[in-house]
Amino acid sequence: MWRYALRRLAFIPLIALAIGALTFFLLRILPGDPATVLCGQQCTAERREEIRQALDLDRPVHEQYFEWMKDVATGNLGTSIYGGQDVLDEVARRLPVSFEIMIMTLLFSGTLGITFGILSAVMRNSPLDYGVRFFAVFGQSIPDFFLLTLLIVIPSMLWRYAPPAGGYVAFFDDPWTNLRMFVPPTLVLSIGGAMVLMRLVRSTMLEVLRSDYVRTAQAKGLHPRAVILRHAFRNTLPPILTVLTFTVATAFSGSIILERVMGIQGLGNFFFQAVFIRDLPVVQFTVLYTAMIVVLLNLLQDLSYAFIDPRVRYR
Amino acid sequence: MATNTIVLQEEQYVAAPEPSRLRGLIKIARENPIGALGFLLVVVFIVMGALGPYLTPYSPTGVDASAQLDGPTLAHPFGTNGLGQDVLSRVLAGARLSLVIGAAAVGIGVIGGALIGVISGYFGGVIDSFIQRTGEAGAAFPGLILYLTLIAAIGRGVDTIIIGIAISAIIGGSRVLRSMTLVVKASPFVEAARAAGASELRILVTHIIPNVMPIIIVIASSAWGAAVLAEAALSFLGIGVEPGTPSWGADLQGRNVDDAKVGHWYLVAFPGMALSIVVLGFNLMGDTLRDVLDPRLRGSIR
Repeated sequence: MWRYALRRLAFIPLIALAIGALTFFLLRILPGDPATVLCGQQCTAERREEIRQALDLDRPVHEQYFEWMKDVATGNLGTSIYGGQDVLDEVARRLPVSFEIMIMTLLFSGTLGITFGILSAVMRNSPLDYGVRFFAVFGQSIPDFFLLTLLIVIPSMLWRYAPPAGGYVAFFDDPWTNLRMFVPPTLVLSIGGAMVLMRLVRSTMLEVLRSDYVRTAQAKGLHPRAVILRHAFRNTLPPILTVLTFTVATAFSGSIILERVMGIQGLGNFFFQAVFIRDLPVVQFTVLYTAMIVVLLNLLQDLSYAFIDPRVRYR
Repeated sequence: MATNTIVLQEEQYVAAPEPSRLRGLIKIARENPIGALGFLLVVVFIVMGALGPYLTPYSPTGVDASAQLDGPTLAHPFGTNGLGQDVLSRVLAGARLSLVIGAAAVGIGVIGGALIGVISGYFGGVIDSFIQRTGEAGAAFPGLILYLTLIAAIGRGVDTIIIGIAISAIIGGSRVLRSMTLVVKASPFVEAARAAGASELRILVTHIIPNVMPIIIVIASSAWGAAVLAEAALSFLGIGVEPGTPSWGADLQGRNVDDAKVGHWYLVAFPGMALSIVVLGFNLMGDTLRDVLDPRLRGSIR
């Protein structure tokens, strides 16, 4: 188990290196260079060359790459081409926003999906079961960005209500404003994940509830709650984990959409704008950062199977 | 007596191969009314996309200054937007765009993904490892980032959207088909064919591909729904079709939202509903196809 974990960990720097190199070269080989964007409409060739030199863009790509690697190794992630601010500072300032969106989405889709999945399986073919399943099919089909649009449009149309505007308010500074800003959109964003989870929990639970050992547990007179939670629910944990990992992995895309729709300045919006103005250091760092989160999550997921399910053994 | 029975069976066989197949489909539809509804929604979508632009008297991009922000009326059943464009015409034109992009992306993506997956699973070894690692690297990249890079390379437009969606479909489809191919490859009839001296190509064409075909159909159905959704999402973010092009996603943002906020709900309600209903249709159809066609599930149900 530990040897397996160590071996997987040893691969992570290699993966990071590969992703870093891939992004670096893709961004530089592709046409559309930041100097052109920076130079603006009335741009002379000399002025553009000056900017290219100032940004080191005139040097061969591999030299730029090694320069960048040296910087990264010493903890210098570069400065934004436009504002000149330190990328790490800028990201650190916006990260809490995207992080809160991710945590809330995960929390909502996890609680809703698991609760209704279990209830629906235990009360099979009851009105609640039908209701939940009906809602699941529709909930999965309505795109999250349409729901987010409705979330803005309907309250504004009916009650002239608008969510708190302006910058990000940290939860500990003003909990009420923070929650009003984040709870409705993250709740909407979590519907898709919750529905997938609910269907999964329901079908796994139904399968497990039919198994022999659950019948044995019931026969020996265990409390129904103990049978459901301790014996049956435990078996749904590995698939739940898979879905939740996937939810976190896709949360950044969701965060981009949410931040764009609600006009919140988080990492998602920062990245989206950076791509358009070709702010290479920002794009590079964000891609590397999100890709590494996905890689680490996959590792954690594989390892935690062994903790949840004693039958899983890694060599 | 015995001969009678045989003759009877032959007659049935000769007389009604086609109607029985149709009857089989009707039976499946009766047993799965929800799937049939999904199929119906998809058919309506395809007809709308194919014929829609000929059914409406207005041009989806034609500006009419005298009819700006009119609510739903007989002349404009879905109302008009801030530029005086007919919303119904734009919704129908959006259906065509979705149809074209979805069909092209799924065509390329599923055929490519199936081919790569089957080859990867059937031949194994170095080819398999190479394809698998490449796929994993591709999957670690957030799809949106991959797509934005693509825009930087070849510019915005319908082609870019198709290629972007097709790449995701190839990665996703090849993985599923690889694992299915591994299952089929291990089955006794493939071994028997090999023992009988069949060539690799013959085994691939007559045994492997027909047996993974149901999976390909299931994947194509859900991929098509996902492609329609992806096009709308990209256009919604303003990185899909060129500005002004009628697209369900593009009509759910920008000026339409500002107008909707002050009471013109129909501007976002109709494109959004069209999109949701089409995605619902593909989801319902895909779920049923999976139940009916997926041999693994079929075994466990009966």
